[in-house]
Parts: sequence; C-alpha cells; structure tokens
Amino acid sequence: MNKTALQIIRFVALVLLQVLVINHIRLGGYVHPCIYPLFILLLPIYIPGWQLLLLGFGLGLSIDLFTGTPGLHAGATTLMAFCRPRIIKLVSGTQKFENIHEPNLNQLDGMWFFRYVFCMILVHHFWLFLLESFSFHLIGQVLLRILMSVPVSVFLIMMALYIFKSNKKGEMR
Amino acid sequence: MLNVECRVPHSAFYIQHSELKTSMYNLWRFILKHHFIILFLLLEVISVLLLARSQNFHRNRVVNTTNDAVGKVYEWGSEVGNYFRLSKTNRQLAEENAWLREQLAIINDTTTSYFDINNCDTIYEYIPAQVVNNSIGQANNYIIINKGKVDGIERDMGVMSSDGIVGVVADVSRHYASIISLLHSNSMVGVRFKDSQELGVLKWETNNYRYGMVEDIPTHVVLHRGDTVLTSSYSFIFPEDLMVGTVEDPNVKSSGALNTSKIRFATDFATLRHVYVIRNMHKPELDSLKANSKQP
Repeated sequence: MNKTALQIIRFVALVLLQVLVINHIRLGGYVHPCIYPLFILLLPIYIPGWQLLLLGFGLGLSIDLFTGTPGLHAGATTLMAFCRPRIIKLVSGTQKFENIHEPNLNQLDGMWFFRYVFCMILVHHFWLFLLESFSFHLIGQVLLRILMSVPVSVFLIMMALYIFKSNKKGEMR
Repeated sequence: MLNVECRVPHSAFYIQHSELKTSMYNLWRFILKHHFIILFLLLEVISVLLLARSQNFHRNRVVNTTNDAVGKVYEWGSEVGNYFRLSKTNRQLAEENAWLREQLAIINDTTTSYFDINNCDTIYEYIPAQVVNNSIGQANNYIIINKGKVDGIERDMGVMSSDGIVGVVADVSRHYASIISLLHSNSMVGVRFKDSQELGVLKWETNNYRYGMVEDIPTHVVLHRGDTVLTSSYSFIFPEDLMVGTVEDPNVKSSGALNTSKIRFATDFATLRHVYVIRNMHKPELDSLKANSKQP
C-alpha cells in the first residue's frame, strides 16, 4: 500500500480510537491512557524535523478538537515529537538504522521498542498533565496521574504494536 | 558639483543596503540552521497560548460552527454504545415515569380544591437531550449533547438528569451544545441543605467523579452524613430544590468561620445518557433587570 495513504489511515484510526474508545476507559480518576502517540512513534526514523513537529502539533490538535482542550494535547505531542530524535539516539546507543525505514517490531527487538515507547510516553504524559493542571499547586496529583497513566499507555501501545505486527509485514515491506 | 552630490547619497545607500542584505542573510542562515528548535518553540508557545486563552475565559468555546463535525462523530460513536445500555436506560426512564405519574396525581388532587393548573406559573421548560460525549477523568470535564441552537438551547441554561443536576450550557452550535459539567474546576453552583436551610457553594476539586465539595458553610451548622443537598433559589439557572446530592463527610476542612463538606453527587456522571436542558422563560426579563440595576 502507498506509504502516505497508510499514514493517513493510521492518523485517522488512532484519533478515532482515542476519542471514541480510549477516552472512555475509566480506571479510577487518575488514569488517562493515550494511544494516539503511536502515530508519532511509527513515523520514519529519518523524517525531516519540521515535518515531525508539524505532524505532532496537528495530531495533538485533532485530539484537542474532540476533548475541547485547545493546546493541551498539541503541546504535549509537539514536545514528544521534538524529543524523538534524541530519545531514539538515547535508547539505541551504537545501533544503526541503515535499512530500517520506520521503527517496526520485525526489524527491531521488543526491548528496544519498550525503552523507546516508555521514554516517549513519559515525556508526553509529563507535559500533558503539567499543562492540564496549569499550575504547581497540585503537583502531587500531577505526579500521581503521570505515575499511574504511563504504564497503562505503554501497555496499550505495546499491545497495539504486537497485534498489528503480523498484519503490517506485507504492507510495510 | 552636481556629480559629488549625486554620488554621496548613492554610496551611503549602497553600504546600508549591503549591510542589511548580509544581516538578513545571516538571520536567514540562523533560522535555517536552528529551524527545528525554532519551530518547536513556536508551536509550543501557540499551544500554551491557546490553552491559557481557553482557561481564562470562563466559557470554553468547545463547539462552534466548525465543530458540528466533531459532534457528529461523537453521536455516531455513542449510537454504537447506546445498544449496550438499553436495559439500564429503560429502567431509569421507567422510574422517572413512575415519579412523574406520582407528581401528576398530586397535582390532579390539588387542582380541584386549591388552584387551576392552567393558571399555575411554570417558568421553566425542560428540553430533553441525549449525551453524545462525556468525560469524567479530566481536570475540566465537558459533556456534549445532541440538541443545539435550532432546538432552543442557549448559553447559561442549566442541565439536569432524572437523578440530579448535571451542569451549565457553555456553548452551542446549530445541532449540538457543550456543557460545563459539575466536574469542572470552574464549576460553581449555589446549593442549600434541605434540613438546615443553610446555603453553600458547590465546587469540584476532588478528582473523583462521585464527589463534590460544598464550601462556605458557617461552622455553627450541624450536618450529618446522608443529608440532602438541593439547589438554592438564588440562581436563575436552576429551579429551586433540584436534587444535587447527599452529604458524605460533613466536615472535610475548616478555615475560619467557614467549613467545607464533601458530598456525593446524585447524578452518576459515568453512565449519563439522557438529560434535560432547563429553559427559564423569565431569563430575558431577569437579564434586563440585572443590566438596568447595574447602571447608576
């Protein structure tokens, strides 16, 4: 399938999944899992920086449109996109990505992916919940929200990755 | 003579121009070199400004004309979910029907002896609506319903469910409206304790969708767990004596002469489906009265 078309489908599917399904998951008041950052996680490794940032901003803003919080998810996703090149460098050490176009579980091992997803989601959630409270007087609650939401989001994203692993083999090659 | 005059300004202009050109060139090179971080900062500043603006305005413009599409997507999503809740919804509606019948019976009894129902001054109209999107896990929660401007919904109208009050209309588009849920950091509703008749202000800061806080209760007031909390008569948004909730913890904290107590909402925000928007027929009259009294 055409790579751009695949990205667009992925974008729309993840936004709908987030706003129609994931946003309604309630595990106590503190857990607010996110699956839509998966779109940014799966972009080509050497995508031009400005594209990465604009896509991050656009993705966040589309979620904001639905949740009625202009700028909240946009800010968090933009920061995540900004940190992506650094995080990839950080988690892979000396590993090279010569013939790897997009991060995928067929060419990269699960442990690499886990570290990558974890760092990215941590950055995203940190900024998201900080912006959401918009002040520091609830810093304890912000930290609690981050601590409880990050594992759930990472779990959801890893699960999604493994579910679509076999399906995408044909599409992405 | 003429020659010199001509050359001096020209060369001065030339030097300025070339300086400008090199500085522009340097700036351009700087932007190109650091475009990643500059774009990042720009987008981040835009995000924070958008967020700050939406938080400053008490009313958040969630739904507007462009966002009718958002409402449509939510409605489409909630239609799927509705099938799974049919039995519960049926039960709730049946209970409400029973209650309404009871009320009707009371009115019918009294009509004959005391007053004629046609002369009764009903200033509130109830517009039924369905919830198409609802959140309870955020710091500021909004509800979107499938009735909008064309159905007569306007800003600042109160919203209730069959169990209790729900929130206040924040914004309307043609076919949808967004409601500031009681679960919103800006939410503020005047309430009254049924037994003691004391007033308080209902807010939400607990991060739990089941509980709210009533502030500004004088310390001499004795409250008990399970006491009923109703809407006060000082609001033009809600009719008097609508159910709000019950006292869970009479004294959570006290500051000076005022106490705060924790209450359990009567409305179950997690399973909210059917709501009524409350239209106060006298609102234009009250508004003009308020506007007039403000002028010296």
